[in-house]
Amino acid sequence: MANFIALVIAGLATGALYALVAIGFTLLWQTSQTINFAQGEFVMLPAFFMLAAMNFHLPFWAAILIGLALSMTILGCAFKKLLVDPMLKHGVLPLAIATMALSTFLKESVKTFYSAEASPFPSLAPDADLHILGVAVSWQNLAVLVVALAAMVALQALLNRTRLGRQMQAAAQNPTAARILGVPVERMILLTFLINGALVALASLLISPIYLAKFTNGETLGLAAFVAAIVGGYNQIRGAIVGGLLLGVVDNLSAAYVSTQYRGAIPMALLIAIILFKPNGLLGRAEERTV
Amino acid sequence: MTAVLEVANLRKRFGGVAAVDGVSFEVREGEILGIIGPNGSGKSTLFNCILGQLPPSEGEVRLDGRVTTRMRPCDLNRLGVSRTFQLLQIFPKLSVRDNLILAAQEHQGTMLSRLFGRRDAGLTEAADQMVAFFKLDHLADELAGGLSYGQQKLLDAAMAFMSGPRLVLLDEPAGGVNLTMLANLKDRLKAFNKERGATFVVIEHNMEFVMSLCSRVLVLAEGKVLAEGLPAELRANPAVIEAYLGR
Repeated sequence: MANFIALVIAGLATGALYALVAIGFTLLWQTSQTINFAQGEFVMLPAFFMLAAMNFHLPFWAAILIGLALSMTILGCAFKKLLVDPMLKHGVLPLAIATMALSTFLKESVKTFYSAEASPFPSLAPDADLHILGVAVSWQNLAVLVVALAAMVALQALLNRTRLGRQMQAAAQNPTAARILGVPVERMILLTFLINGALVALASLLISPIYLAKFTNGETLGLAAFVAAIVGGYNQIRGAIVGGLLLGVVDNLSAAYVSTQYRGAIPMALLIAIILFKPNGLLGRAEERTV
Repeated sequence: MTAVLEVANLRKRFGGVAAVDGVSFEVREGEILGIIGPNGSGKSTLFNCILGQLPPSEGEVRLDGRVTTRMRPCDLNRLGVSRTFQLLQIFPKLSVRDNLILAAQEHQGTMLSRLFGRRDAGLTEAADQMVAFFKLDHLADELAGGLSYGQQKLLDAAMAFMSGPRLVLLDEPAGGVNLTMLANLKDRLKAFNKERGATFVVIEHNMEFVMSLCSRVLVLAEGKVLAEGLPAELRANPAVIEAYLGR
């Protein structure tokens, strides 16, 4: 039983990371119909921004701030202005293909210009276990869970409890009416890209101590977050959270109790089941779009 | 009475087709002006040109004597002009109260306070008064997307009133609304006009609704003004009967 609980907690920690990244997918889709297939690489990259800053002998906290700022600037603002805005004029599909190309570009750039080797990354938590009622929980998993959940709660509070959040929701739900009412729709869309930049930087900070900083980190994470977003409901932030946590737990339990070889297959089976039996996802709503 | 809205020789061409062709009229303060006309007569295009959603090809729009042609819809909204749409423009995943607060919050405070100020912007009471005015108070906490079509139409009108506008342009407010809701809507529009002195321009196909609500009616046909006058006069106008009401 203690083992099962430890596995669930570790799964929730992994799931919280998936959820952070999946929320980014959902935010970008809701506000600007952007499907970002480079989202995994967006999580991989900020760790290298932070490592590069530390190479200049800056302290870890300063490197984190620089990584966050660069992530919001490059993966948020520049991504929107230089890739999304020009490509979206041609439709959702060309944009999706362009983000696939961006994914390869980012991965190969890090491999070529930084290193193909995995680099150790400092951790926010000690590399030890905490024993609670006979259950051994790693401090790192606990830190991941707490920080990721705190970020999700803060984001939900921003969206649901502030005027800014209501403006963002209005811009996503009905941009025409929002513009007429004076909501700065373009600024709200840019803000969601900046939030995505911050979320991926946070995810990078949390995941890199566990898996080391390496150029392939985004491959599995991007796919897992995409699956999590679809399982939870692509048009709901709560869906992305539920999908991420569920996927993390299923992932961990299936590796322990079914087979490590089928670890990657079971989330895919879950995805197929959801698409077949609940195509809008667990919490998603059917939506109509004009074409 | 002074003119709140003046439209002078307004034209809007789409390629070789003139959807609005030299329309001129004025709306006096406190008036309820109806605009009727067959489908394709240019009514909604006229609204879109007045409200800055379409740039007119020629002509001028003045609000309280000030030229507002080509002004952005949000700037006109801040000057006290609001509108409803033929196709509903509400925020389906926000509550009824939040829809109303959103409709007014952009009129208050500085940009910083709009971004980071109190969530309700001090507008909860005004929103609750507005839902009560439209007899939707039992639905204040419901998501707008869950309301019936008629209730959504009432919400749409209530949102147009939330900013305390001087001039409200209503595009087919009665379309698809059942008789009970329609009576409620008409009653509320008249009350808002009388109690708060708001001026209305109403596009509508429901003749009974127009004739019983409006003090004056403008008839459009093929983008031009065919006739203008009191509802009773137009009922007897042969040109109007032929163009719109049908013989």
